[in-house]
Formats: sequence, structure tokens, C-alpha cells
Amino acid sequence: MATPVTSGLKQVKPILSLTHVEARRKVITLYKTWYRQIPFIKANYILPVTKEECQQKLREEFYRHANVRDLRVIDMLLVKGQMELQEVCAQWKPAATLLRYWKQTEEPKPKDFMSKFLSGHRE
Amino acid sequence: MALRVSSLFNQSNNFTRFRLTRFFADSGKNIKDSDQVSTDAVLPKKLTVALVPEEVHIAQKTRQETLAVVRENEDVGTCSGVPEEHIKTRTVRIYCPAKNAMQSGTNNINYWQIDFDTRERWENPLIGWTSTGDPLSNLQVGFVSKEEAIAHCNKMGWKYYIQKPNVNNPKPRSYGINFSWNKRTRVSTK
Repeated sequence: MATPVTSGLKQVKPILSLTHVEARRKVITLYKTWYRQIPFIKANYILPVTKEECQQKLREEFYRHANVRDLRVIDMLLVKGQMELQEVCAQWKPAATLLRYWKQTEEPKPKDFMSKFLSGHRE
Repeated sequence: MALRVSSLFNQSNNFTRFRLTRFFADSGKNIKDSDQVSTDAVLPKKLTVALVPEEVHIAQKTRQETLAVVRENEDVGTCSGVPEEHIKTRTVRIYCPAKNAMQSGTNNINYWQIDFDTRERWENPLIGWTSTGDPLSNLQVGFVSKEEAIAHCNKMGWKYYIQKPNVNNPKPRSYGINFSWNKRTRVSTK
């Protein structure tokens, strides 16, 4: 059964921002802070990625939530983004964990007979 | 040697580290923290009111009273930390748990549960136990009603289906009815 679409609105207590304009401003501030931090991240960590790749990834991560409309969800994502930034700036996060942003989440399926056999799958 | 070199490298880089300021400083909590707490401790009430700018007061009050308007469909799954592949690809079954097959009562099964579709399992070659790579494989969550379970799935963005519960309607039986004079249940002596 598919999730039913309800179009109702309701009033809730805000987390950080009261309006979408305010939320948008905060998102852009967070993006800029991350963007400006990239050279320092590159200096602190030894990463096999270029500055351009970092910028590309940053853009990708922000665009991943482009369709989020709920104010409180945006605020929660903002808080998480801020926490993440702090982790990276203070180097609480090791380089290997930071590189997970570039890790493929899905492993490519084995094609030929031998690799299928070794992976333990028939098809 | 390598260790020392790397530590020196890190130390030298400490200076380049960016000092983060709290850019959420315009939230209500911060205003309260920075202005009220510091002034309340030292100054009498009238002075506090005079010293804190009026717009700060207004902003604080507005934030306490104002409600934001959002859609009814909450999208908690996005910020819950559950990986995207376990939100978009999973199907939830909403069902009533079955009665224990042993001599237990039925008063402990009056609730609804959710569980997830089965993913790959395999026999672990170490001692032959069953393994799985699925973090949601053994997760079952109980709910008071079906509606609550549905609301939870909607919030998390999971697809779901509802399994119709098996309702047991036992017929009332009594031993005495076997000897009823008018039910034609007596078989030994007509």
C-alpha cells in the first residue's frame, strides 16, 4: 500500500526558524561556512581528493535535501550540518570516516561466473 | 619518527584551523542566555528592562508565542539518521502478533506490531549460525493501535501494508449439552 498523500497543514512549535525565508538564510549561511572551511579541512586532513571535488560533494550533499519543505526538518538538518562541521573542524572525525562521503553505498553486482561464484550468489 | 613528524605537522596546522562561531545566535534561546542571565544576576528588575533593548524583548516574546505552519505529513525519516536505502527500499508489515502456541492466554496480544521485509540471510561458516547484513532484520516495534503504526510509517517514509488479523471466535461449548433432552445430541440412549 502506498503512502497516502495528505495536504493538510498544522501549527507547530518552531525549532529555529519561524519562516521559510529565515530557514533559507540559515541554510545559505551554513553552506558558505562549509565552503570557506574546505581549504582548512584540506590542510588539516590528508585526503586524496581535490578542492573542487570537495566543493562538488558539498553541493551534492546540500542538494540531496533540496525537496525538504518542513521547517522543522530543515532546522534539524541545519543543526546536524552544524554539528558535522564542528566535528570536521575540531578533527574529532578521522580522515577515513570523512572519506565515507565519497564511498559508493551500493556495491556493483558481480558479472562473470567466477566473481558470482566467489560472492556466493547464483544470479 | 613518523609519529613525531605527523604530530608536528598537526601542531603547525592548528593555527590554520578555523574558529567556529555560533551562527545560530539569533535563536530565542541564545538571546535569553546571553542577555537575561547575565543582567538578572547583577541588576534589579527595572534596570534590566531598561538595559535590554526593546526589540530583543519583542523578538523573544514572538518566538515563544509564534507557531510555524507546516504540512501534516511530517518527514522525520530525512533527519532521523536512518540510511536512505533503508527508507526508500523497505516495506513494513503492520500486523497483530499471533497467540503463543502454548497454554498462554490471549490478553497479551492486543497490540499491533511492525516488522520489515526479509533480506538476505546465510549460514555463517564459522559455527553454522544464521547471519544477516540487514540492520532492520530483527526489529519489531509495538503500537497500541493500527493507526499509530500507520502514522509512524508515514512519518518515517516507509511503504507499508496491513495484514488482516486472524480473529478467533470460539463457539461456546458445554459438557451438559451432550445430554440435552431436546438437542438430539444424546447418542448412546436414544
